[in-house]
Parts: sequence; C-alpha cells; structure tokens
Amino acid sequence: MENVIELQHVHKSFDGFQLKDFSMTVKKGFVTGFIGGNGVGKSTTIKLIMNLLQPDSGTVSLFGLNYKDHEKEIKQRIGFVFDENIFYENVTLVEMKRIIKPSYCNWDDNLFNYYVQTFELPLTKKIKTFSKGMMMKASLTIALSHHAELIIMDEPTSGLDPIFRRELLDILHDLMQDGEKTIFFSTHITTDLERIADYITFIHNGEHIFTKEFYRIEEDYAVVKGGMELLDADTEREFIAIRKSAHGFVALTDQKARIEAIFGDMVLMEKPTLEDIMFHTKKGAEQYV
Amino acid sequence: MFNLIRKDIVLQKSTLLILLPALLVYLLLNTSSIWVGIVFSVVIIMNAFANDEKTSIHMLLNSLPYTRKEIVSSKYIGAFIFMSIVVCIIFIGNLLIHQEITAWKDILFMVSLVMVAISLFFPFSYKFKSQYMFIASVVFFAIYLVVVNFFIPNLNDIMREFVQVLLTVQTAQLYLFIALAVLTLYACSWLLSIRIYERKVF
Repeated sequence: MENVIELQHVHKSFDGFQLKDFSMTVKKGFVTGFIGGNGVGKSTTIKLIMNLLQPDSGTVSLFGLNYKDHEKEIKQRIGFVFDENIFYENVTLVEMKRIIKPSYCNWDDNLFNYYVQTFELPLTKKIKTFSKGMMMKASLTIALSHHAELIIMDEPTSGLDPIFRRELLDILHDLMQDGEKTIFFSTHITTDLERIADYITFIHNGEHIFTKEFYRIEEDYAVVKGGMELLDADTEREFIAIRKSAHGFVALTDQKARIEAIFGDMVLMEKPTLEDIMFHTKKGAEQYV
Repeated sequence: MFNLIRKDIVLQKSTLLILLPALLVYLLLNTSSIWVGIVFSVVIIMNAFANDEKTSIHMLLNSLPYTRKEIVSSKYIGAFIFMSIVVCIIFIGNLLIHQEITAWKDILFMVSLVMVAISLFFPFSYKFKSQYMFIASVVFFAIYLVVVNFFIPNLNDIMREFVQVLLTVQTAQLYLFIALAVLTLYACSWLLSIRIYERKVF
C-alpha cells in the first residue's frame, strides 16, 4: 500500500517541547484521524508535514517526494484547512479566490461555485465578518477547489455546530469514493472519527503511540474493571494505566486476549472509546515517569 | 511569483486610490518632488509589507505552492514596481502641472534613497516586525541627536551640502558608481532577507 505521508525519525525541539524520534505514515486512499490532547504536538506535526517547520533531523516526504527539491509540486497536490483564519480579513471571499486561484494549476471554478452554493457562503461580505463556522466552510471550499489529492486539516470540526459537523463528515465521505484521495486530520472530538476514520494515529507528549486501523483498536484495547484483590505488582504491569478506588479498579489494556487469559471471568471487559484510550494513556504516562 | 506581486497590488488597491491623488496635491503645491516621492514610495511599499505580516498570512502563503524564496523575492520586485508607479506619476504630474521634465538626477537620487531605505527596512522587518521599526527609529533618532549635539554639530549642513554636491556633480561615472552601489546593497539585502525568512518559525 502506498504511503502519501512519511515521517521518519523526525526530531524537532522547541523551548519546553519536543518531538522525539517521530515516525509515522499515512496511507493513500484512506481517512486517517490524528488524535492526542492539547499541546502534545499535533499542530507541530501538521506544520512539519506542510513544511511550515523544518525538522532538526529526520525526513519528511509526501507522495514520495521531499520538500527540498519538490516543494511546489507537493503543495500543488495538497488542500489545507487550519483551525484559525488564515485569510486576509479585509477582503471578500471572491477577492480571496482571485488571489489564491492563480497559484494552483488545477483550480476549478465550477467546483468552487458548487461548494459556495452548498455551504451558502456570502461571496461579497468581508471575511472578518464571518463566523467561526463560515470561516471553516470558506477554508474548506478553497481547499477542495483545486482537485487536491491530499487534504490536511488541523482541528476542522472544533467550534462547528453538530449539524454542520455531520454535513462536513458526509462531504469528506463523498470525496473518498474514488479511492484516489487521502485525508489526514487532527481532532479531539473523537466521535467524529468513529463516523469516518479508517486509521487512527495517536500522539502523546511528542511521541507516536500507535497508528492502527480503527476496528483493530476495538480488538486490541479493552477497559478492564475488577476488584482490588486482583491487583499486585505483577498483574499491575499488564496494564497501560490503572485507576484505583475503594470499589475496585478501572484499567486500560492493549492486549485484550492476554488479560482474558489471565483474569478470565473475574474481571469485566468493556469496549473502550477513543476518549478512554486517550485519557488512560495520559494517566499511564504520568504514573510510570 | 508574479501572482504574489499581483496580490500585493490588488490588496493595495484602495490605499493606492487614496494615496496617488494625494501625491498629485503635493505636486500642485510645489513641494520638493524628491522628498514627496521618497515618502510615498516607502509608505506604499511598507504598507504592502505590513499586510502580510500576520502569522496566519505567513501560514497561508507558505501553504500555497510558493517557496519562501519566492515570497521574499515578490516583495523586493514589488517594491520596485510600486516605486516605479510613484516615479511615473511624479514625472507625468510635473510635466502636466508645471510643464517641466523632472531631472533624471532627481529621479536617480529618489530611487537610490528609496532602495537604500527598503534594503534596511525589509531584513529588519523579516527578522523582527515592522511595528518595531518605530521603536528602532526612535532609538536611531536619539543616537542621531547625540551625534549632532556632541560629536558633529554641523551634521545636517554636511548632509545638505553632500546632497547638493551629488545633484550638481557632472561626471556620469560618479552616478554610475552610486547606482551600482545601491543595486549591490539591494541585492545583498534581498539575499539576507531570504536567509532570514527561510529560518523563520511561525
């Protein structure tokens, strides 16, 4: 299977934060959701992928090309959406289109007009008067109007009302039908991912925890509940994180089968949500450091 | 890259529509066309620069299929174009209003000073931000005052004489030398800005 995005052994450090030996891939033709808490490196990773930041060491390649020699070629094939307004504020959407259009070889005015109509966007109002939702629709319209093969979005659903969130996911779903496009987007609204994502990439504190197919997560991971008498130094090591209380413990495992073998019927196994996994992984990292 | 320059002109449309008639008013009032030209050129050029200074705009331009080299170069070429527009208007304005042809020495002097100013302003603004230039210029003015008061009391006169000498000197060689020096400075500033911008983190 072809990789559209490849990061290999990327290091990037800032004051008080670093990405350590970060490697990940995004597969062509699929939707990959990028999850992790606030400030763990999601936006940094996206900026590295967009070449807004250069890695201290390691390589970033898109479509098998590197930015050093093929910067414009790569960017021609990407549509991007950021979670903040990146357009000029004192212009209208039509003027913004006129500014952006000549930079793309494959710009398609019909497609642009189609999305403007679908999203009911005002063409002649200044962009600074746009609400958060309209802003996101405008970004998306621009991102989708030049037949990009890869759509990269940083928190596209944050601040959107639930109705448009669903519409957005439907639009993305339709886009994926020809199998040629790839979507990579970060979010912390994990329910969005359940509707659309094929793969989940999880990052925590600048480290890549896993990239898995969505259904595999449910197969591997489990939330385990049981009495305190089951826990000792040995069994505790089997879990990623454990929360103890007077009534018993709640723990997360990524080896569901093994826990079943060890504890059998003595524990209660539940299907974890992505939020459970994010929450427990964070707690686990704090416990063992 | 020419799209980036066109973008600057489009964004400046309303500013230009206000500033250029104002320029004609100055010409009507017989103000020194050299100084008016310098002030207008620098204001228009730096205004175009300031439009693009927000982090979000840097993110937009860098996410579009442009290289950082092109983004910086568009500003330097754009500056040249804006300056040419101002020079043309002054030339035509003088011709229509006063029926006189602007001396080519005046134009050379104006163009040189604008280019020197831009050569200093652009790298500074890429490194820091153009808003800090006010602070820097206040500090610079303080240094200037100290120099005038304590070291070279007649600095202003020297400069005025120097300008007069420059404008009256007849040898073409000297002008050629000045033009080359200014172009070299502009080119160095251009390269320096590219270096600064390539390392910039948004």
